[in-house]
Amino acid sequence: MPKITVQHGCAKAQLALVPKVAKVIKITVETPDVKSFRLQMPNGEASFLGEPGQFGIMGIIGSGECVFVISAQGEDWIEFTVKRVGQVTEMLHALSEGDEVFVRGPYGNWWPYEDCRGRDMLFIAGGIGLPPVRSFLQYCLEHRADYGRIDLVYSGSTYDELVFKHQLFDEWKTVDNMGVHVSLYHEDSRWDGEVAYTAPYLEKLAIDPMGSNGEGRVAVICGGPSLYRTGTKELLKEGYAPENVLTTLEMRMKCGIGKCGRCNIGGKFICLDGPVFSLEEVAQMNRDE
Amino acid sequence: MIIKKDRMGALLGTLAQHKTVFVPALIDGVSKFAPYREGLDVRFDLHNTKLPPKDLLFPQTQKMYRYGETAEGGHYVEQFDESSERVLFGVRPCDMRSINLLDDVFLTKGFVDEFYEAQRKKLLTVCITCAAPAETCFCESMGLSPNEAPDADILLKSCEDCYKVTAQTQKGEAALADWRDFLEDTQAQVLPGKTSLRLNFEGVPQKLSRMYEDPIWDEISTKCLNCGTCTFVCPTCYCFDISQENKMKEGVRFRCWDSCMFSEYTAMAGWHNPRPTKKERVRNRFMHKLCFFEERYGKTLCVGCGRCVECCPVALDITRLIDDIGASDA
Amino acid sequence: MSDIQEAMRSRAKELLESGEVNAVIGWEAGRFENQTTPLITSQAAKTQRLVFNEYCVNNLGKYPRDLTAKGKVAIFARGCESRAIIRLLSDEVIKRENVYIIGIGCPGMRDRTTGELLKKCAECRHGDPVIYDEMLGEPQAKPATQERFAEIQKIEALPRAEREAYFTNAFSKCIRCYACRNVCPCCTCRQCFVDQRREGWLGKQNNIAENRFYGLTRVMHVGDRCIECGECERVCPMDLPLMSLNRKVIYDINNLFGEYETALSLDEPPSALTTYKVDDVEEFM
Repeated sequence: MPKITVQHGCAKAQLALVPKVAKVIKITVETPDVKSFRLQMPNGEASFLGEPGQFGIMGIIGSGECVFVISAQGEDWIEFTVKRVGQVTEMLHALSEGDEVFVRGPYGNWWPYEDCRGRDMLFIAGGIGLPPVRSFLQYCLEHRADYGRIDLVYSGSTYDELVFKHQLFDEWKTVDNMGVHVSLYHEDSRWDGEVAYTAPYLEKLAIDPMGSNGEGRVAVICGGPSLYRTGTKELLKEGYAPENVLTTLEMRMKCGIGKCGRCNIGGKFICLDGPVFSLEEVAQMNRDE
Repeated sequence: MIIKKDRMGALLGTLAQHKTVFVPALIDGVSKFAPYREGLDVRFDLHNTKLPPKDLLFPQTQKMYRYGETAEGGHYVEQFDESSERVLFGVRPCDMRSINLLDDVFLTKGFVDEFYEAQRKKLLTVCITCAAPAETCFCESMGLSPNEAPDADILLKSCEDCYKVTAQTQKGEAALADWRDFLEDTQAQVLPGKTSLRLNFEGVPQKLSRMYEDPIWDEISTKCLNCGTCTFVCPTCYCFDISQENKMKEGVRFRCWDSCMFSEYTAMAGWHNPRPTKKERVRNRFMHKLCFFEERYGKTLCVGCGRCVECCPVALDITRLIDDIGASDA
Repeated sequence: MSDIQEAMRSRAKELLESGEVNAVIGWEAGRFENQTTPLITSQAAKTQRLVFNEYCVNNLGKYPRDLTAKGKVAIFARGCESRAIIRLLSDEVIKRENVYIIGIGCPGMRDRTTGELLKKCAECRHGDPVIYDEMLGEPQAKPATQERFAEIQKIEALPRAEREAYFTNAFSKCIRCYACRNVCPCCTCRQCFVDQRREGWLGKQNNIAENRFYGLTRVMHVGDRCIECGECERVCPMDLPLMSLNRKVIYDINNLFGEYETALSLDEPPSALTTYKVDDVEEFM
């Protein structure tokens, strides 16, 4: 089986700095502070579609822009899942269906789904880290026969923080040869499942790093700084090869096209060369956290 | 071919009839490239203008597009193109090199920056070699020569009372047609320039890549004020921010120079900042100039113009840093 | 001055070796002739690099703000440094017990390229330290060679259009590098209004309106706390006449509230613009 190689550079370069106007055709309330926005180009114009893991930049007309991984896409729409954390996301949350926004992209590299074919997959996410991971997971499910066993380990600090509950607790439970493992960091009156932080939960689950066919399982991890730190440490301890652990790095971005400077980690620009990197690559970076 | 120094004014007057000709000039005590006009204090004798010529291609504030509501209740986006035919006249070899570096940034690696490209295509560059570099000039240590500028369309080699004129590109060749009345077919002795400040840059990028956690960053960042002076007077610093200005239901979105020295530069939503103190910012600036850019583009992002050396309020001197790194055993 | 330099080196060394202070703030030679640069060190060996000559142009007085969190610092202080320290103390940015002030009389500093007395030093009215724990050498009692408000009176005498042109001109040059703010011992807000991007007081675009808004807001904010050290004007890469702005405010304070000069002693926190009295002049009402 080929070594997993993350390609760096934009998968499909389309719009650079000037956005298009898009219409919000559907808003899904995922949690009290997370909403998904489905966007469509007006006048039947083709939407830009990304590769799994690519991101777009959505902006309030007359205000700022923010970067979001394309969490889902259809033939003529894309969806961003947005947590309310700052000024722009607050304004996005105030939008209604039918409103217009600016959108540009797609930017960045993509999950190396080609190289992962034939492997068992372990997806790990915390809180709002699930949408970027889901773009890859969804791809695997759409091409189910190409991948081995799939496990998802997802955690949040509260029940409210868990996104995509319908998929977590219904849809994905029925998928053949797939395990969905959800934990909360703290006790919650609405929760009778696992209570554990991600790393100890991983330890308890003991998902074999070699995978069922012995080829080496691919782990995909995305979450806040502490989940990233403890989670990757646990994976390495369990014997996952650093080149088989994939993650997305986060920095502040403005342009999305590798020009404006601020998102560099060493000589790499996260917006253009990333956001997807293997742990093997991250280990070699001179990195500010 | 030569042009006498006392014919330069007349040449500029002629060229300025068709295009905007930017020349080094002293305006209100500050030297910069300004559009030539009668009465402008043109200064070809300055070593370097205080402000670099980068804003000709990458303005400090650049309108990108306007937007607003349409009659039907939707929105429109209308891109600006404010590019125009320009001549950058009297640029020095270091600044010429900086344009070559900006070309790499804005025109390569997957995306072409349409605003930069539009203006770059309409720019003619006329470079003057440096017969007498300043004490803060160190271009030769950065792999440049004060006597050459391979990327310039037209090169003027400094002689005693004239310049030796050479077209170096087809664009330059074509442009020389407008110069015909001012050129003389005589020989002249070129005055070669030499920088007195010499550094040993060899191996510095490689050493730096191993010095990310070195105590040197604590040391040099302590006196840094974290102002943006070095980045704004730097001919190669290209970081920008994007913002907007609204009036009623219309607005303009623009980009503007930003500085990696500013705390807000990398602050994310919710205020997490991966470069929270002066140390990380200073380290990133120097690493970017001397190491990261090299990794990415195979070139060093410092051209040795000496502007930051001259302007830094606390004399935080990149040349001393280079020497210190060179002398370290990393 | 060479005696002072020797004394500085030995005192700095003693203070660091005895553990009395954690760091020393002074000047060292730069690469070029007649150039110095701030030296901040915790290593006794490095104190031999300290210099004192007529080219120590930096006011070191803001550095204690960044350093005292890690322990006590010693600072060599002329008039301008000592007043900056009073500023930091009365604005409660640093604590008195965390700074050891070694006074030095100042003859005025010179421009390294022209050799001329710096403008800020020609205007300086307090070359000798106004507060110190110990003094090296004698006070210099250097008189100001420029009348304090001469420039302001000259500008005020101009016709309105010319006055407007004077400032418009100045702000058209500003590149908003914020060196004036970052060097200023009065600018110690935890978060400057410039950086409050959520509130968005100041647009990011560089134009006269935004530049003027920045400059004037800063002037009014510094207001009655300006120690007239002139560092903002010295560091401005675009040569903006920043002290004429600061002094205009101080000039008005003097005219409205009586003779006023701040940061001359610890007992007098700035009060002109923060105290309300019923008989205050209210010309604009």
